[in-house]
Amino acid sequence: MLKYILSRVVMAILVALTVSCISFALVYASGDPAIAIAGENATPADIAHIRHQFGFDRPVPVQYGDWLWKALHGNLGVSHYFNQSVASLIWPRLEVTMTLGLCAIVFALVLAIPMGVIAAMRPNSIVDRLALLIAVMGQAIPSFWLGLLLIVAFSINLGWLPASGTDSWQNFVLPTIVLGYYAAPAIMRLTRAGMLEVLQADYIRTARAKGLSRRKVMFKHALRNAIIPVVSLAAVQMGFMLGGSVVVESVFALHGAGFLAWQSISRNDLPVMQALILIFAMFYIFFTFLADILNAWLDPRLRGR
Amino acid sequence: MTYAKLLCSAVALGLALSGTAHANKADDTAEVLFAKDLDNPDIYFSSAREAVIFGFQVFDGLVYLNPKTNKYEGDLATSWKWVDPTTLRFELRKGVKFQNGDAFSADDVVFTFNHMADEKTPIADPVVIRWLDKAVKIDAYTVELKLKHPFPSALAYLANYDAIYPAKYYQKVGSAGFAKAPIGTGPYKVKSITPGTGYTLERNEDYFGGPKGKAAIKTVKVDTIPDTNTQLAELMNGKADFLWQVPQDQAQKLKSLNRFDVVNAPTLRVGYITMDATGRSMADSPFKKLKVRQAVNYAINREGIVKALMSPSNHVIDSACNPTQFGCETDVTKYPYDPKKAKELLAEAGYKDGFSIDLYEYRDQPLAEAMVGMLAKVGIKANLRKMQYSALASKQMKGQVPMAFMTWGSGSIEDVSAITSHFFEGGPTDDAKDPQVEADLKKGDSSVDPAERKAAYSAALKRIAAQAYWVPLWTYSSNYVMSKELKFAPTPDEIPRFFDMSWN
Amino acid sequence: MTTAVISKPLTPRRVMMRRALRHKGFLMAGTVLALIVLAAIFAPLLAPDDPYEQDLLARLQVPVYLGGSWDHPLGTDSLGRDVLSRLIYGARISILIGLIAACVSAVIGTTLGVLAGYFGGRVDKVVQFLINVRLAMPVVLVGLAVVSLRGGSLWVVTSVLGLLLWDRFAVVLRSATMQVRSMEYVAAAEVLGAPLHRVLFKDILPNVMNHLIVIATLEMAHAIILEAALSFLGLGVRPPTPSWGLMISEGKEMLLFDSWLIATPGLAIFVLVLCINMFGDAIRDITAPEGRN
Repeated sequence: MLKYILSRVVMAILVALTVSCISFALVYASGDPAIAIAGENATPADIAHIRHQFGFDRPVPVQYGDWLWKALHGNLGVSHYFNQSVASLIWPRLEVTMTLGLCAIVFALVLAIPMGVIAAMRPNSIVDRLALLIAVMGQAIPSFWLGLLLIVAFSINLGWLPASGTDSWQNFVLPTIVLGYYAAPAIMRLTRAGMLEVLQADYIRTARAKGLSRRKVMFKHALRNAIIPVVSLAAVQMGFMLGGSVVVESVFALHGAGFLAWQSISRNDLPVMQALILIFAMFYIFFTFLADILNAWLDPRLRGR
Repeated sequence: MTYAKLLCSAVALGLALSGTAHANKADDTAEVLFAKDLDNPDIYFSSAREAVIFGFQVFDGLVYLNPKTNKYEGDLATSWKWVDPTTLRFELRKGVKFQNGDAFSADDVVFTFNHMADEKTPIADPVVIRWLDKAVKIDAYTVELKLKHPFPSALAYLANYDAIYPAKYYQKVGSAGFAKAPIGTGPYKVKSITPGTGYTLERNEDYFGGPKGKAAIKTVKVDTIPDTNTQLAELMNGKADFLWQVPQDQAQKLKSLNRFDVVNAPTLRVGYITMDATGRSMADSPFKKLKVRQAVNYAINREGIVKALMSPSNHVIDSACNPTQFGCETDVTKYPYDPKKAKELLAEAGYKDGFSIDLYEYRDQPLAEAMVGMLAKVGIKANLRKMQYSALASKQMKGQVPMAFMTWGSGSIEDVSAITSHFFEGGPTDDAKDPQVEADLKKGDSSVDPAERKAAYSAALKRIAAQAYWVPLWTYSSNYVMSKELKFAPTPDEIPRFFDMSWN
Repeated sequence: MTTAVISKPLTPRRVMMRRALRHKGFLMAGTVLALIVLAAIFAPLLAPDDPYEQDLLARLQVPVYLGGSWDHPLGTDSLGRDVLSRLIYGARISILIGLIAACVSAVIGTTLGVLAGYFGGRVDKVVQFLINVRLAMPVVLVGLAVVSLRGGSLWVVTSVLGLLLWDRFAVVLRSATMQVRSMEYVAAAEVLGAPLHRVLFKDILPNVMNHLIVIATLEMAHAIILEAALSFLGLGVRPPTPSWGLMISEGKEMLLFDSWLIATPGLAIFVLVLCINMFGDAIRDITAPEGRN
């Protein structure tokens, strides 16, 4: 088990380093950042001054090393646009995005697991088909479009919920639905498949034969086993969803990290872009790591690998 | 069964939610929505209009341009006079206090101006203060500004941009600290500020009065919402009180609803197409040929676009400036819509079958797309490339843009030096590099004699039009949409003054 | 006729054909997809107008179902362009982006997955590492960043998506190849000294083809949705290209007053992606009916 964890840790660190390299290179390729910062009325002297001030005149590997070293110490640089430390800009927004991500994954689980179980109880029945249809629809509806439709319905026509902002919990309701519905289909499919598989297993048949009630068998025995892969999928989905929050947060002007990322891209605010790509990647790496460990812990067969 | 539960809780949730709280007249809070955010509350470090607007509420300058009379009035100064063309002397107001209690005196003016005019301070837009050589304290309430060269627009910049900061406090907290908690003398003080999200202002109860007058509304909450339709959604569900720069189509529809006040106000902003006439973006730039530039001018149906897509208060311009600006010569070569002539000119220039070119733009995509369609009709295949303003501006300064549809608001300065000189005096934004134009503009910029300036600018603008360096397009007006509760009269300088707002 | 059919031997292919013809989802999704593809191919014949032709005097005309005229059955947009024509030409963009992105990512992902599954050991470790790196990159964010740096165009968007969406191919084909490899006939071919490329192309690839096709449909749908999202955020293909995502983006300004402007292209994306996904599910059912999940 320890060896397994260790190998996962090494893998996670290697991936993190590679991603940091890519995100640095990606953003660095944007041309001369000094001109972008200098603004519309700058003279060549101003630009040279800025280039020196921000250290853009040093060799690229030095800049990367410097950036990474500082990032490891929690110093993500200074936003060119806001002239403030990137960390102080990002933290409050990460809170918003994490809240949204958590709400959305809970919503997705609450929606998807019962659906998966019911579908698995009667495979190929109308209920099953319906569940599948809802899942397929979730994958096919563009989330920004669904978001816009919900705004029209709930915020303009009914006036129940605000269309934008981060002031209260009400602001999170619509984004949670959109983001959660996006994540639900995969969870639903996995629950259903897991349940089908478990229901074929011998011990369930034995339990049924012993005369335990159908519902008890379903929820007490079958679901408990089928849920293992779902939990780790949920962890991975969480990582994905934080990345996917860009679109949803932009539609609802929810001031989270995804919204900041989108705006930073259009503002050419390199340090913020770099930091956010890195942070989203780290979250994903963390959640997959968590999923791996969880899997190994719940399923001893995996430990040997 | 689980479904039934879900459904029940959803309905319960819906019921619980109906009726959300809104800021409005009842709690004396005006909710303002902006599309762009305040990038830096230390306003010298921002080139965004949002910073100018913020500055007007929280800080004061030495002088104030009264939008009703269009005359300069003393703000933190009580009087001023030109000692000579490069020396401007101010008598300062006594008994003014900053919002942190510090007393205002000549030291604050001298510190702020000398610090910002220093080449080493990396302010965003050097134009606003770098005409100043130094500020000199004569006594506690008298200051002299020494200019580098005669600069007729000095008062305009002092009024719109050059806010006075509290010297002691600024030196203590630095620019970054100041950006987190700005302190001024203005009619509003900052209650809270979240970068990129918005800020909340509260009336400065100890405001000294001055030409701005005391604020009527206690709290103003400014939120950033980049998306027009989200802004409108907030307006419709009663959360927002004030929107501006609303596109014409939406403004018209809102007007027809009769639930809001929709006001259209002129601005100094003009649209134009700039063409690379020197071949710096590509050696064989077709725009090096006068006939091609003229053809582009003839090809675009500016009247048609303004009529169909813009508000009725906008009009077509023929000269590279806004007709309301000082020195804007309008009696120049005109190019009415004439696609046939455009085609002939293109053929004469050797482009019988037209050519393909990248057309860059950063705003008003429908207008840009409409022009692309018109250019296609005469054989010019323009590939539209949309970029963010700062990115596009830097690309253009590097000389990598063959053709761009841009706009310019002249920083609300009522003088052609803020537009024509900015673009045609040989700087990095200059796509023409015409020595004759440059010489005329320099003459106009450094003279203090209005007649002489007018003559010089007129010559420059006539040549620009004859050479068709630009396609001057149209003026822009701004649509303001306000809740019926809010009373506010927009000004042509695109600087909404919250302290002039009140409740109906 | 019937007797003739029955008398033919039941090859696996024929079994699948019969399953396909009895699969309702396959028939339905297949028909709709075929119609969309045909519309895309014959766009110039079908579209009533030029999708780029503006008519500033006929802006924002409502569609027929809201009381508009038959001159523009689906109305006109804010520049007076015919929405139906743009929709038909837009099918070309979506299908093109979906197909090319799926092909590019299929080539990358299949190569990596098959190599990892076949060789195992160190090769497998490296491929797993690459998959992890790729999965850690937030797709939308990286896509937005690249497009904002390179400028939006069909080509840039397609290649970014193609280079980003190969992970699922690699993951699935890796395990599928592992399974196939352990089968006897592959071992036999190796023992007989068949050259590597022969084993890979003749023995392995055909046997993982069904997985490949299923993933390809999923990723095609994924690419279409992502293109729409990028274009919606203003960093996708370049206007005036009639991309459905761009049409939503352009129409969203009028969301409150003319919501039909975004309803039409949004519905188009929804139907196309839904059918592609259903088609993929159907193929899975048909090729491996026991493994539906």
